[in-house]
Amino acid sequence: MADTPNSDNRTLHVVGEDDSRVAANHLVTGAFFLVLGGGLQLLSLMSLRFADIFPITYGRLEPMANLTLMIGFVSISLIGGIYYVLPRLTGARLNFSSLARFELFGIAGLVLVGLLAIGFGFGTGGQPFGLPWWINLPMTLLLAVPALVTIGTISNRTENRSYVTLWFVLGGVIWLPLLYLAFFSGDLPYLSSTAVAYTDVFFSAGFVTMFLFTVGTGLFYYTMVRELDVSLASRQLALVGFWSLGFAAVWWGTAQLMFGPGPSYLSGVGAALGLAFPIGALANAANASLTLEGAWDKVRDRPDLRAGVLGLYLGVGVAVMAALAGFRSIASVAALTGFWQAIEYAAISGVGTLLIASVSFSAVPRLFGRELYTRRTKTFLTLTLTGSVGVLVFMAASGLVSGYSWIGGSNSGAYVDVGEGWGAGLAGSVETMMLIAVGFAIVTFFGQLAYAATIIGTVTQGKAATQEVLVAKATVDE
Amino acid sequence: MSDLLAATSTTLGVPEDLVRRSAEARAAEAGSNVDEILTAWGGGEAIVVTSSAAPEPPPSVEVSSEPPAQQEDVAPEIVIETPPAQTAPMATAPPGTYQPPVLVGVPDKPGMIILGAIGLFLVVLLMGLIGPSVATDEPGSRTSEIPYSQTAVNGQRVYASLGCAACHTQMVRPVVADVGLGAVTLNDTNQVVGDRRFGPDLSDVGTRMTSSQLESTVTGDTTTHPPHNLAPKDMTALVAYLLESRNSGGLG
Repeated sequence: MADTPNSDNRTLHVVGEDDSRVAANHLVTGAFFLVLGGGLQLLSLMSLRFADIFPITYGRLEPMANLTLMIGFVSISLIGGIYYVLPRLTGARLNFSSLARFELFGIAGLVLVGLLAIGFGFGTGGQPFGLPWWINLPMTLLLAVPALVTIGTISNRTENRSYVTLWFVLGGVIWLPLLYLAFFSGDLPYLSSTAVAYTDVFFSAGFVTMFLFTVGTGLFYYTMVRELDVSLASRQLALVGFWSLGFAAVWWGTAQLMFGPGPSYLSGVGAALGLAFPIGALANAANASLTLEGAWDKVRDRPDLRAGVLGLYLGVGVAVMAALAGFRSIASVAALTGFWQAIEYAAISGVGTLLIASVSFSAVPRLFGRELYTRRTKTFLTLTLTGSVGVLVFMAASGLVSGYSWIGGSNSGAYVDVGEGWGAGLAGSVETMMLIAVGFAIVTFFGQLAYAATIIGTVTQGKAATQEVLVAKATVDE
Repeated sequence: MSDLLAATSTTLGVPEDLVRRSAEARAAEAGSNVDEILTAWGGGEAIVVTSSAAPEPPPSVEVSSEPPAQQEDVAPEIVIETPPAQTAPMATAPPGTYQPPVLVGVPDKPGMIILGAIGLFLVVLLMGLIGPSVATDEPGSRTSEIPYSQTAVNGQRVYASLGCAACHTQMVRPVVADVGLGAVTLNDTNQVVGDRRFGPDLSDVGTRMTSSQLESTVTGDTTTHPPHNLAPKDMTALVAYLLESRNSGGLG
């Protein structure tokens, strides 16, 4: 079968009205934001290490990168994945699909405006990104659209049975706007500084567990079963995974502020309940492994499945590290350091990218009627995994050494500071480890480029294949 | 081929682009040529597809009533099947395409998931955000609230918009690592708490540095601190905020 011309059928997808195109447009747009966000993230890490050579400081680059990756890439891509699976789980057309199209343009536009706002100093300085209220307000409304579409579509479904992916999707789309609303409320003038700090960590942790891990895992449950024609090993494990992830959100956020101005009960309760995070991640990874039992040879040949499996396993590592750092003894060293930066990096750029790639590599070929452009998939998987694990290890280690050095002499091992005693000697090793972490971040960025090349390559150069379409009677009648 | 393509497109009510591309894919898989495929779709003799382009419907794994020991090999609770024809809202897919199967599980009530998700979020909100944010410390003689001047309050806005909190905390904890940084920060603080400390804590920076030292640090003259080119008014405000940040002196 010969390659088809690049322009073949592309316009039809981008401007058409079929429900599938809404999903396709989200996934392609997400790939664009991954490259943009990955570049900003790399610059932000470099500015942390080479502070004096960048015209924009880490304080602005980091929220710009977070905004692009969390909202532009993760949210838009996962919403695309949700729109892809919804009709395939319910047998019904997407409800409010026009609104879904508007939501994509709206969120993408607001992310770009937000980047300018932060870059030009209109941000609020909050973490992971502090946007002015005139962006936060419409963003909250737009992030509620997927919930509306999902619930509307489910209300039109033709059978009363639910595959487990539907829970994960439902939970994710409901939690996302609520999380953002809570985050947005941090801008209210009467809130104390302490409340603002907890709002920030609540959102970043909640976004990772209640949206990224939840929806990403749910979509992989769909991809895995759909691609291999196998049955899910355990509905009960999926249930445990789902509710644990939902419950885990609180604690790995608050652990970052342990011993801070919050109530004293937080450290003990947080350590115990923070275990929900690794429990949820482990339950889902175990479920996937059991499901794939006897089919590992097929997984090896399928980039979509490999990406999902790697994403789930990396997610377990991230969750275990986050939960451990919730214990008082470790938190006294790890809190406020690059350790948590490493966790967030690996969660978003590692786990997030891999889980999203899993659904994208499965969905995009079906949506566009083209085979997956596989020339860069191996590169993507290798570089993304290597880079994100490398950053996780070295940045977390640099954080721990910083924390220890602070004990040796107050603040002595902070990134650029110097101090007395053995802490001063450790500062050099912190810088070295940060430098190695930046090297791994470059590796990750090349992996992100390979992801975008795979998506764009599939759309423009993929060999023609049978296309999966949703054809409602109304469409045919038109 | 163009006439045939146009006629087939009209007959099927599908755009020519899609029909042509689909016909090419089908022809390649059937070992036939495009004209034959188009003729068949236009109402002529059907082409036998040797390798099915559309995937077979996934095997249906029905819920089993066998004892649990016999269910382990086959996941019992998941049913994967195409929906019954009489209830499926989809019409026949255009040629060269196929409709996806609908993946379903066991009878379920999504409304419960929705209620559960909202309920869980409220619990999470209460425990993870509202609880920690509410002042719980018993009233004492000490406070962490610093009486900033109006210039310093303006400087706090500059501090926030520059993203200083991405690297600097203003939070002293009762741990060994924070000894010497100033008084422990209480819940009523009006400083920018922050959650990362790549640079020094600034809760009490006003007792450690002079205004000229602060200014040269902010402009990046003396250390590896990133340089900030601020308007004089903003620089004055920022330095005022930092100078007045003295959480260990004169409070309470």
